[in-house]
Order: sequence, then structure tokens, then C-alpha cells
Amino acid sequence: MSTQESIRSHKLDRMAALAGAGARVGMNYLKHYGRQALSGRADPDALQERNASEVFRTFSELKGGPLKLAQMLSIDQSLLPPAYARQFARAQYSAPPLSYPLVVRTFRREFGKDPRDIFDTFEPGAAHAASIGQVHRATLGGRAFAVKVQYPGVAESLRSDLGVVKPIALQILGLRERDVAAYFREVEARLLEETDYERELQSAMELSAACAHLPKIRFPEYHREFSSRRVITMDWMDGEPFDVFADGAAPQALRDSIGQTLWDFYAHQIHTLRRFHADPHPGNFLINGDTLCVLDFGCTKTIDPDFHSKQFAFLDPSLETNPTRLTAAMESMDILLPSDSPSQRAHLVELCKKSLELLALPFRAGHFDFGDPAFMKAIYDLGEENRKNDTLRGMRGQRGSADTIYLNRTFFGLYSLLTRLRAHIKTPLPVGLSFN
Amino acid sequence: MENRTRILEAYTNHLREHGTTPPTVHAFCKSLNMAERDFFQEFASLESVESAMWGGWISSLTTRLEAGSEWPEFSARHRYLTFLFAFTESSLDWRSLMLARFSHLPPMASPPFLKAFEEHFKIFASEIVNHGLSTGEIAQRGPLQALYPAVLYIHFRAVVSFLLRDESQRFERTDAFIEKTVAFAFDVIRTQAIDSAFDLARFLAPSAWGKMS
Repeated sequence: MSTQESIRSHKLDRMAALAGAGARVGMNYLKHYGRQALSGRADPDALQERNASEVFRTFSELKGGPLKLAQMLSIDQSLLPPAYARQFARAQYSAPPLSYPLVVRTFRREFGKDPRDIFDTFEPGAAHAASIGQVHRATLGGRAFAVKVQYPGVAESLRSDLGVVKPIALQILGLRERDVAAYFREVEARLLEETDYERELQSAMELSAACAHLPKIRFPEYHREFSSRRVITMDWMDGEPFDVFADGAAPQALRDSIGQTLWDFYAHQIHTLRRFHADPHPGNFLINGDTLCVLDFGCTKTIDPDFHSKQFAFLDPSLETNPTRLTAAMESMDILLPSDSPSQRAHLVELCKKSLELLALPFRAGHFDFGDPAFMKAIYDLGEENRKNDTLRGMRGQRGSADTIYLNRTFFGLYSLLTRLRAHIKTPLPVGLSFN
Repeated sequence: MENRTRILEAYTNHLREHGTTPPTVHAFCKSLNMAERDFFQEFASLESVESAMWGGWISSLTTRLEAGSEWPEFSARHRYLTFLFAFTESSLDWRSLMLARFSHLPPMASPPFLKAFEEHFKIFASEIVNHGLSTGEIAQRGPLQALYPAVLYIHFRAVVSFLLRDESQRFERTDAFIEKTVAFAFDVIRTQAIDSAFDLARFLAPSAWGKMS
């Protein structure tokens, strides 16, 4: 067994594995152009799919940090071709389960006791996976709990892994480090926060208390006495998984009602609390009757009032017809830089207008039917178009605010969930916002 | 106090305080106020004292684990993992001793002072292997399976080396190292991978030999 060897060359091995992926991507390009030369035509989407699976395979061989990096790169749809995004989205489901002895070890390390000394029953197998850990079902005095246990060493290795992987990932994806540095810092900060279960417990308790008054939504009660740096204990919630419900035979009225609850929940967080659950992913919700249950607050984002008002000023419908106001709004967010040439400015303004017409669409009429899949498809297509846009890619400089990453991710996730529900809902403008 | 216990405690304290072994039995007995003949009635040498010290650690760990109520339900893999995690947990009390004695040891070295440590581990490991063989968790492989305890010992020593170099908070990286390497090792011994490797080696070896000569 070459265990010794593999420890010593830990970092080097990882570098080599990643370089290997780069080489395989290169080979795919060669094959692609070879085929093109022979047949006179080739399918660029097929190439992209193949490259995506190579990159994904490598990332998933390197569990832990790189896995999260894969997820983080899949956050910003416009940075990433859909083929990569699809492959990376799978990353959320493919981490290996922790063995029961390791769960016991974690409990002894955190609480000085075995799980079965704390609870009446504790199921040795995981009920389901969480993003960097897994959830076990336990009972005590007739009450059922969901106990989330984190993979050991994730927090420790995340930073060094990101450092190793980042430059290579940038190269594989064709991004310029300088232009996306602020985005990487933001994503890195959020990822590191996700490994901090004490912080997550605090956020979960605060956010669920601040949203408890909303109708038809329920949050589990969190239990500080059974929680630590690596373990979070909350009430066990019964219900149907979100995707099972959405893909099932639920009547339209119920879909609309759940969709409305979801929309109102996010509107309250983003516009009133300005602190929100930034991971609207089907795995984080359960449906019980007409009630939406919210399970996970691992990723939360806080925005300041100044950013909020600048960002949502873009909802003003007059921006679509008044170029001066649009340009001013774009300058306020550093999307337009003073160094841009007139043609670059015109290009960006045009692009921003197009994005706005699409992304602000749900807000326009005060109600919106997410049942039409054309809306989500148009968002995907726009991202794809931006990505292929050479003028856009050729532009230098850091643009926009890093705060928009998680806000975009949240809206993108919310729109996807609503599309999946095929919900028709009321979509009023944010509280306190009015345009004339 | 029994002489045996007194000797073991004094030896352990000496190692902790000085980071080295006592120079001679004579000096050691003097500091203990004990006659040399009383020492030699219990131990043949200073090395055998140390061997009993490390061996006692392993045997007390395994005895405690085997008495646990969940132990009979555990698979071979879970038993081995449980042992390694209990070992790392208990190593907090032994870390300074381990740093003094293991740090400069080549990973494969088998010095006399670790004789009982190795023996106790291998007895425990062969019980785990037998349990795995009886449940079919580990594939039957004739004479080859006699090597399993030795292979597990090499792995165990690798865990010790990793643990001693681990600088992470509460040694979490060691936990991850244990989890991942054991998963890998048991995946290998469960499947026919080893058989296939040997079959391939048998096939290639004569022809390679033929070309060389």
C-alpha cells in the first residue's frame, strides 16, 4: 500500500490530476477539429458536453474543496456554458457518505459523548446528504430530530484546495483572474461561511424568527444544546421533497399557493430584512399539505441599503425607454467604466437593456405565469449568448458588484423553482419601491 | 503499588519529561529506589518495559471496544474504523510520547520497543479479518489472506505518521484520512481486484523474464 507516498505528494497529485483534465479537454478539441476537417462540419455542443464531463470527472475525483468550487463556478450562469453548469449541478449529489464510526467520532470530539448517549435512538445510516455533510434521524423523549453532521476536514482543506484549483480552473474555463477576482473572493467567503455551523445555526435561528409571521411557511426549531462547530440539530420535518411535489400531480391552485409563499418569503428577506437564504435549491424545501418547510440556511447573504436601492432601481420600467437613466444606473453599479470606448458603451447598454427586458419581466404586470417554460429558456439562451459574445469577453476590467453574484443566484434559483412548480403568482414590486 | 505498575509509570514519566529513554536499568532502578532483581523479575530489559507500555495501550483500547454494546452489530470495516477513531481520540493523552518515539521512525521500521504494540494490533486485526471473511465482506483468498493483518498494520502505522504530522484543528484531517483510506482498502479487498492483479502479474512475469534473459 503506497499510503505514505500519497500523503507526501498530496498537493502535487491534485495538481497533476487537474492538469490531466486540461490535457483531456485539449484532446477533445483536437478530435473535434479533426472531425471538422474530415467531414466539413462538427457539433460544437457535443464538444462542450464532452469537455464538461472531463472537467467534472476531475473535480469530483477531488472531493471537498474542488467540489464546492465546481458548484461555485456553476453559480453564475453567464460565466459558465450551460453544459458545464449541468455537469457541475450534479456535484451537489455525489459526495460519499460518512461511515457511522466517523459520525460517532465527530460526536465524541464535539460533545464528548456517543450519539446514542445523547439521543434515545440514532439511525446509523444517513437519511439524506447535505451540501458538505449528511443528515441523520434521531429521537429523544418522543421528539424526532434531524442531525446534520459535517464532513471532517472540509473547512480545513477548503482554502488550500481553492488556492490550488483556482488558476487551473480559470484556465480551463477561459476566464481572466483579474477580471473575476472580486467574484472569487465573494464566493470564497460564502463557501467558508458554509463550513461554519455555529454561524449557520445563528443565521437559521435569526432568519426563521424574522420570517415566522409569514403565512403557510414553517421552519424547524433549532437546538443549540445539540449543536456545535460540526453538528446542527433541528426538528425533523415531515413532508414531500420539493421536486417530487413539483413533478407530481398537485392541483394548480396548490402549486400557485406554494409558489406565492416562496415568492413572498424571498421578497420579505431580500427587500425588508436585506438578508436572505441564498441557496433556493429544491433539496432545501419540503411540502407538507399547503405549507412550505424551509430546511437549510447554510448560505445566507446580507446586502446593504445602498446596494439594494442601486440594484432594484433597475426595475424602473422607464430605463427601457430612457437611455440616459439606464446609463446612469449602469454607471452607479460600475457596469460601465469611464475607460470604455463609445462603441463598448453602446454595446453594454444594449446588452443590459436586453437582460432587463427579460429578467424584470415577472415584475412588470404585478402577476406572472411561471408555467411557461419559454421564460427560463430565454434566460438560459441569454446567458449562452452573452458567453459567446466576443466583444463582451474582450472587455477588460472588473465590472459590477460582487454582491450581485448571490443575488443573481437567488433570483435564478427562485425563478427555476417557480418554473418547476408551474405557478401563477402575484409579483408586486418590492415594498417601498415605486416608479413614475 | 505493584512493582510492574510502578516500573511502567516511572518509565512513562521519564519518557515524557526527558523525551529520551532512561540510560541504564541501574540508573532507572536507583531513581525508583528499587532493587535491580525486583526490576528483572518483571522485565528482561528497558525495551521490554516500553514494549509493554505501547502494547498495553492497544490491548486496553481493543478490550474496551469489544465490550461495547454495538460491537457485535458492526461490520469488519466499521470495527476497524471504530478502532482507529478510538485510537486517535485516546492519542491526545499519548501525543507527547508518540512525538518523542515515533517521529523519527521510518514508516516500515519494527523496533523492539514496539513488539507488543505490533503483536496486539495484529491479533486484533486478524479477528477483524476473520469476522469479515465469515460475513463475506472480505473475499476468501487462500494463503494470501494471511497477509491481511500485516497489510492493516502498515496502514495503521501510516495513520500514526499522518496523525503526528497533522496540524489541523482537533486533528480533523486525520479523521478524513482514516475514513478515505479505509474505504479504499476495503473496496479493494472486497472485490477481485487483487486476484486480477496477481493473475496479470503471473501472466506477464514469465514473458518479461524471457525477454530479459
